[in-house]
Parts: sequence; C-alpha cells; structure tokens
Amino acid sequence: MSTPALEIRRSSASVLGSLTQTRQTPKVAKYVDTTICIGCKACEVACQEWNDLPEVATTQVGSYQTLPELHANYWNLIRFNEVEHDGGFSWLMRKDQCMHCDEPGCLEACPAPGAIVQYSNGIVDVDPERCIGCGYCLAGCPFNVPKFQDKSGKMQKCTLCVDRTRVGLEPACVKACPTGCLHYGDKDDLVSMAKARIAQLQSHGFANATLYDPQGVGGTGVITVLAHGDHPEWYGLPRDPTVPLSVTLWKKVLRPLGFVAVLGAVVGAFAHHLYHGNKGHIDPGPRDAGEPPAAA
Amino acid sequence: MPSAMQQLGFDEAAFRARTTEDIVVGQEIIRHRLSSRLIHWSVAISFFLCLFTGLPVWSPVFGWIGNLVGGLSVCRVLHPMFGILFAAAALVMFFHWAKEMTLTAKERGWIGPRLFAYLRDAENHAEIGKYNGGQKVFFYTSALAGLGLLLSGIVMWYPTSFPHWLHQTAIVLHSFTFVLFAVSIVFHIYLATTAEPGTFNAMTRGTVSKAWARIHHPKWYREILGLEKRS
Repeated sequence: MSTPALEIRRSSASVLGSLTQTRQTPKVAKYVDTTICIGCKACEVACQEWNDLPEVATTQVGSYQTLPELHANYWNLIRFNEVEHDGGFSWLMRKDQCMHCDEPGCLEACPAPGAIVQYSNGIVDVDPERCIGCGYCLAGCPFNVPKFQDKSGKMQKCTLCVDRTRVGLEPACVKACPTGCLHYGDKDDLVSMAKARIAQLQSHGFANATLYDPQGVGGTGVITVLAHGDHPEWYGLPRDPTVPLSVTLWKKVLRPLGFVAVLGAVVGAFAHHLYHGNKGHIDPGPRDAGEPPAAA
Repeated sequence: MPSAMQQLGFDEAAFRARTTEDIVVGQEIIRHRLSSRLIHWSVAISFFLCLFTGLPVWSPVFGWIGNLVGGLSVCRVLHPMFGILFAAAALVMFFHWAKEMTLTAKERGWIGPRLFAYLRDAENHAEIGKYNGGQKVFFYTSALAGLGLLLSGIVMWYPTSFPHWLHQTAIVLHSFTFVLFAVSIVFHIYLATTAEPGTFNAMTRGTVSKAWARIHHPKWYREILGLEKRS
C-alpha cells in the first residue's frame, strides 16, 4: 500500500485546534489476532531492530513475558496472561503497544505544541524535540502506554513504524510475524477481515469472540481479535477506555472557566474602580471622645 | 513635635520599622516591620516566577512567555523548583501571621455578604482591627492554595512515582487551586494598590498615615493610640 505524504490532522497544545484536511487519507490500522499468536516475540525483536532501540535488561516476571510493562526503549511487548476460568485455563498472549487512538488522550493532555501529533492516516507520533517530559500524556492514556527516558524524561512509544508505513512498507513487527497474526493496511479492510475471523471463531466454540476497537476513544489504530471478547481484562485491556475524565475536566472545563474567572476579576476590578473610585475619600466619621486628631 | 532623631535628619519611621511595628512615629504608624515585608515579597516574587513558568504549560496561548524564559522545557525544569520556593515562603508567612489572622465568629460574614458590602463602601468599619475579615479570608485562601499547589505539584513533578489516579487528581487539583488563587491575587493586588491609596506603602516603606489607619482599621488605630485596650 502506498501512502501519500502525511498531513498532520491533530497536534498537541494547538491554539487553532485540529487542522483542516485538504486531502482525504484512509485510516490505517494494525490487525492483531490474539488467537493465533504463538508468543515467539519475533515482533519484539523486529521492533527493537528497526527502531534501533538500545537493549533493555529483561525482568523475570514468572512467565515468558520479557518485561513487566512497556519501556521507553521497548515499544512492543507480548503479554503472557494466564487466566483460570469456568471452562478451564487459558494462556492468552496479547501484543501490548500504543493503540493509536482516534481520539488520543495523550495528545489531548500534552501541553507542548506539536510534541504529540496525529497524522491524517490516524498514526499517533511523538516528536522528542518538542516533548518536555512533563508526563501529562501518562495521565491522558487509558492504556498506560507512555514511558519516559530516565534522564531526559522524554516520552517514547510505538510510532506504527511511520518511517516505514509512510513510504508504503508494513511495520517491522508485521513484517516479522511468522503466523499471520499481524496485518497492516486500511482500517476498513482489516475490520472486514476481523469480522470474518470472528465469525469463524464463533462457529468454533468461542461464542464471545469480538474485535477490540473501543469506541470510547473513537476506535483504535490497533484492532485486536479476542477469543474471550466478554473479558478484555483477561488480556490486560480496559473494558471501556475513554479519554480520562480528569483530562476533560482540566482542559475543557477548568481551563476555559479559569480564563473567564481571571479575566472577569481583572475587568471587575477596573469596573469597580471606575464606579467607586478609591477609598481615600471616605469620611471616617466623628472622632471618638478623647481621640487626638489624625493628621493626614 | 519632631523627635530628636528627626531633628537630626534621620528618617526615624523607616529606621524603627526595621524591627518594630504597631507604633506611632511622628505622623506615621508603622504597620509592617521589615521581616513581615520581606516574607511578603518572597511569597510574591516566587509566585510570579511560578506564574511565568507555569502559564505556558497551562495553555499554549501563553507560549510567548515560555519563549521569554527559554522554552517550555526550561519551564518544565524551573517551575517545580520555583514552586518549592513559593511553598517554603508561604509556609514561613503562614506561621509569621497565623496568630493575628484568627477569624472571629463575627468575621465569618466576610466570606460573602460583608465582603460585598465592603466593595460597595457600605461596610461598617468601626470594629476593624489590624486586619479586616477579607484580609484574613485571603490569608487562609493563600495558605490553602499554597498547600494544594505544593501537594499536587510534587505528584506532577514525578508523575511515574505515583499511582495513575493520584497523578490525574493532582492535575485537576493544581488547575483548580491555581484558578482560585489567581482570582484572589487579582483582587489582592487591586485592593492593595489603586483601590486604596496609601495601602501599598505599608508593604514597601512599612508605614501608613494616621488618617489611613483611622479610615481602614479604626480599632487598630485606637489601640495604637492607647485609646482602647488591645484585644
């Protein structure tokens, strides 16, 4: 698939808000079928290789999982979830990475202009030059994805290999996957593919199989086929992720209200002064008996 | 009758205002001794340092202020440090003035009707001592804001060291407290300068005129002149 030059659809801390799209670009997505992931971690290696990320020491977490969670230098982590349930035991592997939300909470929360951008094809990217390492994106992300460099505090995460995808290549992880669990392309096409796969799963005894494409964040650029779609938490996924209330409260309520309140106070003070003048003119009233005169 | 010191050309009021307050010197009354004024200006200056490094992070509309201090990343580094300065200064100020700021039952009305009456020049000042209810309310507002900004600020300084929900709550609390404090500060500055001539002098030279004291703080005035027992 060839991708025309990417425009920026949305940019963090933009005074003018979202930019007008002059060119329609189809939304892209990465398709993850958890039911045929074998946990080989080829995608993890490919991600490290392509993005030239330094080594991160592995941590023994009692399973095959490489690290407890994502890391500023480890953007693709297969989570090995072990779940006991009525039907027995399930070993559920899920690719943890930036979900590339259509309404990204990180971008919403970010105070640095242009540090987090969303391209017209839906990819959410970070510009380390503009990132100030404040960590607001962490508060905005419902998937606990943003991770920070130790020294600079700058955020790093999956870019959906924007440097590959913008020139028509698939992301490194997709290229490396040996089972066909990962696919990349137009989101619409991949959603159709997922529907077919889900119908297949449902006819094979996974009645609750679904596609995880949470609408609370406008849908995601990483769509995940779950055999146990009624229990996204088994895969470490939030059931109904949204841009957190705190971010909305702060940016959409407190900030405009704050502007009005402070400007109102300034205007009020001016108005008060124009109307009442200063207090020097007030007559303090008759002096108390025995009180010596107060010379001005 | 000028004192010996004044006859010799000394600025006795300014001199004595270094260590003493609530006394009459010539035609002036010393309202704030040097330590009070220093602590006030430490809080004020550190507040403005926080403001100038915080506003650009609060909204991109203030990006130009960020450019003046060297960019947003400089703000990110300096703002928490200025915040610590501000909190430390505010803490000292709180204990410096806490004793004089007890809000009596009668003064509760200043959180509302009496404050508005005051703004309409309709407040009966007769029983106002060194600080009126509005000033006391502002004192506690500042203390609360200082505390709220400090606690939320520490969490925001090291976001990865605290739970997710606490970080999110801190961001909201920091914004809310800031707005509350900013509105109070606007009124504080207005009332202390152009609204009431002579007031600003109390925080610079440390003195006020007798007339000023008699208009704005009549009970304090009577106490200082020994016409009434201090309460």
